[in-house]
Amino acid sequence: MPAKLIVQGLSHHYPDEYTGESVHALDDINLEVEDGEFVSVVGPSGCGKSTLLNILAGLLPYREGSVTVDGNVIDGPGHDRGVVFQEHAILPWRTVARNIGHGLELQKVPKGERNRKVKEFIDLVGLEGFEDRYPHELSGGMKQRCAVARTLCADPVVMLMDEPFAAVDAQTRITLQEELIRISIATKKTILFITHAVDEAAFLADRCMVFSRRPGRLIATVDINIPRQDRNWNEMSSNSEFTRARDQILKLVRGEVSADEA
Amino acid sequence: MSIPRNIAMALYRRFGRQRLRRIALGSIPFIVLITLWYMNGIFHWLPPVFIPTIYSVFEAIFVLQEGCAGIVEIVALDNNCLMTTNIFSSLGRVVLAMLVGLPLGIGFGILAGMNRTVSKFLEPIGIFANSISGIAWVPLAIVWFGVGWMTTLFIMLNTIFWLMFFNAMLGVRGISRTYEQSVLTLGGSSWDVITQVYLPGAMPSIISGMRMSMGFGWRALIAAEMIGGDSGLGFMIFSSAEEYKVEEVFLGVLIISMIFLLTDRYLLMPLEKWTSNRWGLVWRPA
Amino acid sequence: MRHSRHPLWKFGRFLRDANFSHFVVSVVVILVIWSITSATIDNPGRYLPSPLAVALSSVDMLYKGILPSYFADTIRRLVLGSIIGLSLGIPFGLLLGLNRTISDMFYPLLNFFQSISGIAIFPIIVIWWGNSDKTVLAIVLYTSFFPLAYTVLSGVREVPMKYIHAVRTLGATRFQVIRDVLLPGAMPSIVTGTRLSISFAWRAVIAGEMLAGREGLGWMIFTGQDADLTTQVILGMLMIGCSWIILDHYLLRPLEMDTIERWGLVQR
Repeated sequence: MPAKLIVQGLSHHYPDEYTGESVHALDDINLEVEDGEFVSVVGPSGCGKSTLLNILAGLLPYREGSVTVDGNVIDGPGHDRGVVFQEHAILPWRTVARNIGHGLELQKVPKGERNRKVKEFIDLVGLEGFEDRYPHELSGGMKQRCAVARTLCADPVVMLMDEPFAAVDAQTRITLQEELIRISIATKKTILFITHAVDEAAFLADRCMVFSRRPGRLIATVDINIPRQDRNWNEMSSNSEFTRARDQILKLVRGEVSADEA
Repeated sequence: MSIPRNIAMALYRRFGRQRLRRIALGSIPFIVLITLWYMNGIFHWLPPVFIPTIYSVFEAIFVLQEGCAGIVEIVALDNNCLMTTNIFSSLGRVVLAMLVGLPLGIGFGILAGMNRTVSKFLEPIGIFANSISGIAWVPLAIVWFGVGWMTTLFIMLNTIFWLMFFNAMLGVRGISRTYEQSVLTLGGSSWDVITQVYLPGAMPSIISGMRMSMGFGWRALIAAEMIGGDSGLGFMIFSSAEEYKVEEVFLGVLIISMIFLLTDRYLLMPLEKWTSNRWGLVWRPA
Repeated sequence: MRHSRHPLWKFGRFLRDANFSHFVVSVVVILVIWSITSATIDNPGRYLPSPLAVALSSVDMLYKGILPSYFADTIRRLVLGSIIGLSLGIPFGLLLGLNRTISDMFYPLLNFFQSISGIAIFPIIVIWWGNSDKTVLAIVLYTSFFPLAYTVLSGVREVPMKYIHAVRTLGATRFQVIRDVLLPGAMPSIVTGTRLSISFAWRAVIAGEMLAGREGLGWMIFTGQDADLTTQVILGMLMIGCSWIILDHYLLRPLEMDTIERWGLVQR
């Protein structure tokens, strides 16, 4: 079976907002994400992670290389790729339930079926009892749960996540990471997770891709061979495979940083 | 316990100490003013030609409505029911100007908020149009449309349109790009983005624009009716003033400010508060 | 890329970015549309004289000295009205902001008069003082006083309590708190209120001159319409718009921006 997401020879340049000079953001990226796989992308800030995500999401047009999802070439945003954004991107003027059902609403799914699916995903992310609340009444963690549920409810082929837990506090982040593992087991979704936190990248993913500084290049892929079921923070801290993978990623990222600054 | 004490206690319980104090203090200047006004009617410090008696202002209602047989004539905007006919005439223009001006202003404003090219062209025009204050358009409007309905309507429309344009534009510009992107990645079209992100996202700003439209538009309308109108409250007080019927002018001024106060306090302010609360912004009294 | 360093490129950038250039483009487009409309309608002299005709009439009026004298009249009224309005409104607003009892007393009154627009009480003032300078000035004062007092009052109220507490714990007296915290804290509002009140005053001057003046720009457009001199009406409107833009953009707004930047912390 072919990979769900295939990126081939993707490069990207864009003009700087202030100087107008061309910035080389991505350089010859090749990657594949298999069906049901959880892949994390990690790298120093300014390595083009966000550029990559925006291209995959279809928000940024690209010229060099090709990106296909489920065999279709990407041309603009679409509901086959769901995105969980870093900031709270759930609409403040919609209730939790209407936010989660928004994708289906846009796809003109009948109301009865929509409500059923919304209920299912509210249960999945643990937002029961908050269906009719507005986003400003939720905590940061609950907002991100809602954002994840909204993306999943639209049933995308791949879920792209752009540092989704960067803005929440440390305690909540740990809970959300463990929940994401649980959700990924339950839904068997293909997930591409972008982060700058090495711990997070190693904890969540089956495979971690390390990016270099600008121009962003894929410098290494680290496999993390731990069954999804065994991933929780209590056990991971003493898990030798996790420690190995984390240290390896850290070295790769740090090596880049120090080599660059020296 | 004595009866006044009971009443005082009941009020105290109803409003609380702070509010009671505020109501009591706040009413002092009004009581003083009204007392002075009343006493002027007795002692004539200032002649009644300048300050009418309270009673004559009240009486002016019946003078203006003289010959008005009843509800039917009032509704039919009969010329004998001067007061009500002029009230409805002004209100009719407000409603009409809002019906036309709001959608136009909001539409162009959203367009300008989305599209830099549109805003670059329309913004300077708006700044210039705004700096020629509403009333300065009256003479030109009279040249174009003659004295009457169209001129006054034009003045109010002109005021409303630019206010709504700027408010909707700034509202759209203030929306985080992430909202737009999230709707697009959920499979929404550009039209979905307009109806589900730009319009609701700019709503708090649009509603404050509506409040401002009523504030500025109402003033502009009254002014326009004075110079270039043949009906309405502004026309009414201006023609009363020309006949030195100062009590009718006082009555008209009171009606004009009451209409504004009522629509602002009981229609637009609650609406503004509601959207801000719903949208999760901190509500600030303007 | 190299070409970005080229001076011509930079100049082009300036033209693209500066608001000024958009303004120029818009003005040119409007002038073109205006000329075409004027050329195609019947009787343009009455309904919409061409830009050229307006320009010629301005030369004529300049030559006769009518335009400068009308302009000076309007500005004189604005300055006089604003000076009196500011010197009454700012202290009144401060007084209300500093003293609870006084503000509780006068706040509802302030609200009430704010809802009665200056233009509405115009006929009353005309009955009192006739068509005179005094009438126009009274309207200008009335219109500018209330918004100013209101803005200054809220400015004092919005100074964060923590500043007051901080200075109090340093041992400041009540007077020192007013001098060192409340007044500078209210400064941005005072300046914003000043700008707002002058903008209202400007409108009121024009309206006042139209209704009760004997000279000035408002009078000029009003009589222009009466005498069927549409060029004079349009010229007056342009003068009104341009003078306000110049006054606001080059005097009032820089003043406001400066103060807000300097007192930046207070602005929320």
